[in-house]
Amino acid sequence: MAATPRSEARTGLKLISPTAIYVILLLAVPLATVLVFSVMMGGRANVSFPVTLDNYAKLLSNWAYSYILLKSLLVALSVTAITVVLAYPVAYFVSFHVRQERKSLWLFLITIPFWTSYIIRVSLWFVIIGRDGLLDQALMSLGILSEPLNFASYGIPAIILVLAHAYAPFAVLPIFVSLEKVDRSLLEAGQDLGESRFITFLRVTLPLSMPGVIAASLIVFIPTVGDYVTPKLVGDGKQPLIANFIETQLLKLQDFPQGSAFAVVSMLMVAVVSVGFVLWNKRFIGGQK
Amino acid sequence: MKKAPILKSYTLFYLLFLYAPIILLPIFAFNSSKVVAFPLQGFTLDWFREMFSDENLGIAAKNSLIIALSVASISTVLGIFAARASVRYRFPGKAPIMGLIMLPLVLPEMIIAMALLVVLLSLGVPLSLFTVIIGQVLVTTPFAVAILTSAFQSLDRSLEEAAMDLGETAWGTFRLIVLPLVMPGIMAAFLICFTISFDEFIISNFLGSGQPILSVYIFGQFRFPAKVPSMLALGTVLVCFSIILLGFAEYMRRRGIAKTGGKDSGGFL
Amino acid sequence: MTTSDDRPTMIEFKDVHKYYGDYHALRGINGTIRAGEFFSLLGPSGCGKTTLLRTIAGFEGISSGVIMIDGKDAAGIAANARPTNMVFQSYAIFPHMTVEENVGFGLRKDPRSKEEKAKAVAEALEMVGLKGFGKRAAHALSGGQRQRVALARALILKPKVLLLDEPLSALDKKMREHMQVELIKLQRQVGITFILVTHDQEEALVMSDRIAVMFDGEIAQLDDPETLYRRPANKKVANFIGTMNFIPAEILSETGDKVEIEAKGLGRVALDIAQAPAPAGEAPVVGLRPETLTLLYDDQKASERETEGLIDEVIYLGDMTYYDVYLGGTDVEVRLSMRNVPGRPVLEVGAKVRVAWSPSALVLFR
Repeated sequence: MAATPRSEARTGLKLISPTAIYVILLLAVPLATVLVFSVMMGGRANVSFPVTLDNYAKLLSNWAYSYILLKSLLVALSVTAITVVLAYPVAYFVSFHVRQERKSLWLFLITIPFWTSYIIRVSLWFVIIGRDGLLDQALMSLGILSEPLNFASYGIPAIILVLAHAYAPFAVLPIFVSLEKVDRSLLEAGQDLGESRFITFLRVTLPLSMPGVIAASLIVFIPTVGDYVTPKLVGDGKQPLIANFIETQLLKLQDFPQGSAFAVVSMLMVAVVSVGFVLWNKRFIGGQK
Repeated sequence: MKKAPILKSYTLFYLLFLYAPIILLPIFAFNSSKVVAFPLQGFTLDWFREMFSDENLGIAAKNSLIIALSVASISTVLGIFAARASVRYRFPGKAPIMGLIMLPLVLPEMIIAMALLVVLLSLGVPLSLFTVIIGQVLVTTPFAVAILTSAFQSLDRSLEEAAMDLGETAWGTFRLIVLPLVMPGIMAAFLICFTISFDEFIISNFLGSGQPILSVYIFGQFRFPAKVPSMLALGTVLVCFSIILLGFAEYMRRRGIAKTGGKDSGGFL
Repeated sequence: MTTSDDRPTMIEFKDVHKYYGDYHALRGINGTIRAGEFFSLLGPSGCGKTTLLRTIAGFEGISSGVIMIDGKDAAGIAANARPTNMVFQSYAIFPHMTVEENVGFGLRKDPRSKEEKAKAVAEALEMVGLKGFGKRAAHALSGGQRQRVALARALILKPKVLLLDEPLSALDKKMREHMQVELIKLQRQVGITFILVTHDQEEALVMSDRIAVMFDGEIAQLDDPETLYRRPANKKVANFIGTMNFIPAEILSETGDKVEIEAKGLGRVALDIAQAPAPAGEAPVVGLRPETLTLLYDDQKASERETEGLIDEVIYLGDMTYYDVYLGGTDVEVRLSMRNVPGRPVLEVGAKVRVAWSPSALVLFR
């Protein structure tokens, strides 16, 4: 007999169980553990009862924690804004000014850097903007500078530059996809109604492509806010972001409860920003049915 | 197609920005100077020789291959289960289960690594390549599920019914109809998981207990200026390797489309 | 249309119900389909016809009731073990196989030798007019060719019943008409039961020995095409199959096998009880097919009854002319074939006319 709903449910559950058990044991349980640790007392590498909210109270009262969170948020949002703004014209060009059969070639070219080792790409920036790096050499040999600039030691601006480069290709694809969906006859209609090309872009194309812009923002924001390698490599490691700070708390200081509380708060922050993006996206999707 | 010279030059400039660091790889990998600086000195293969004679690098590469092959295999299999179940069946708890499987896409990797690490340390599990593998599978599985879900979705349900109707068993139908038709998706999922795992740093670093793993090794070596040229040689090899892999993946995808007579609907991913 | 009622039963439905959650998709299906019959399930989309077909194939379970296939309760038999084969709406041609591999798919476990199977495949292809197409890639075929492959693939297994789920809906009009004839020929040739699902009443009338008209998960009427057309069981069936004029009426008396009515504009008429299907508890109306009515020219006399009226509207279609005629309190549509009135002029709006009709063409719904 064919699948009645109950046997369908049973087959479905059976089929998904290997994957489900895997993520429950190795993702849900660890995350729950972090959550539990965050409300416990503890010293070095151990935790103990009773349940307490002290760890969270400490997070709120100590400016150092908030500073790390705010700085990471600021860096990630700047990187997101920069990558998206830089990527939009590229996506627009490929979608509107490249012949159909050449589009996948262009996209391929744009995505190749993404598929080459992230560590190598980031490390190469160190070779470029580090002390006596290629940038310094160039500027000095041109006589623009007499002392090495050592941009890599500039901390946050250097981190933003490297991250913006690392995640650039992520931003192009979603924007391109949403631009491809824009009905070309709408644009003709706009111009037919006497609007200039630029006004048509502002009033038709841009709003219609907003879901792609927001998706791109989300795709760039999440990995950048948790990036570990870049702050470690550039900025002389003096500008730790969330990931570096969690490492310090959990591994170096072995303060499990405090580190867990910080991890939980970071997750919440990422979740709140992400949900904000999603809600913003809903507005645009709702607007166009 | 309308001409847009400004947009086009901007795009080319953007591509240059994207490729700038990568272009440096072959330039300085074949340059005979010990320091990375212009002007170029002369052509040499020394750095490649140095790279290939580096024993630790060899071990790291082998470890990374073991990890990437295991991770790609496990994630693809787990992905097939999850994608098939979510496309084909309705069952209670589907949304939360799928949400949990896809969660690592929106979770900073550091948090996954740390949560897992805290539990492993508490349980007294020794860190090894194995712990790296189980951690990376969490990160790559959502990609496999996403790719395979679209592969399973594009499969016409009546093809399976037709096979059953013609006398095949459920397993026969899966083997003769479903599997060949989603094969390009399976290959793509495998290749993408492999690439992500091969590049992955955070989990390799924190769950690997100092085992030499390629990404961790590269990260460490770049700090020593003397090691930079041979790392550039390694980078050159890796970039060629990923381009070949990507080209292969794209070829498979196109062949898959051609085989089923579908229309090419854009590029990779 | 000939139906030999002595043919044995192939499929029998006994009070079949099907629920999807709260949705009652099949609401007590009863009826039989005979061996060797070309049977159609006809109805608007969402009426449950495809669901019913899929319960025969075994793709859908039923919530209660019994389906007997060839004398056996189908409940315990899986889709892959039933003596039925299906031609899908999308044809479901396996895109990664050649035509030959598609047609031979069901023979995989057949104990016959390779050569014999190849011969069977070649014969099946020849039967559907695709001789020499065996080596083609399936995805390179046209819609009509795909359908033929689907037919060959199903028929090669010599099923007792062939199920066809809207097989012609994906084809253009010309191809559709051509395939209708081909399917009828094919059914006569192989002699097995064909069950066709369609929403196209014309298609069903042309092709079928008998038709089950379905609405809202129920069979509204199961009859041969002529009976369905001439004696629809209710207003809904009458409206779905062709066009019908409905004229308010009053029942004067009912005695044994006669019903006497007074219909607006037509006057008193005595009907045979066969012209009055089972009461539905509605206000009585009489139904008249537009083509059973004729307009009389000055010198013509009605063979049975006639009524005076005024022409409200004229739609000229070349071979046919449609008139809206006002008959004392109600408008009726009259369809006049120009063949029946050669050389006569088309009448004009506002003209006084006499409408001829026959009491035996009336159906009473109440």
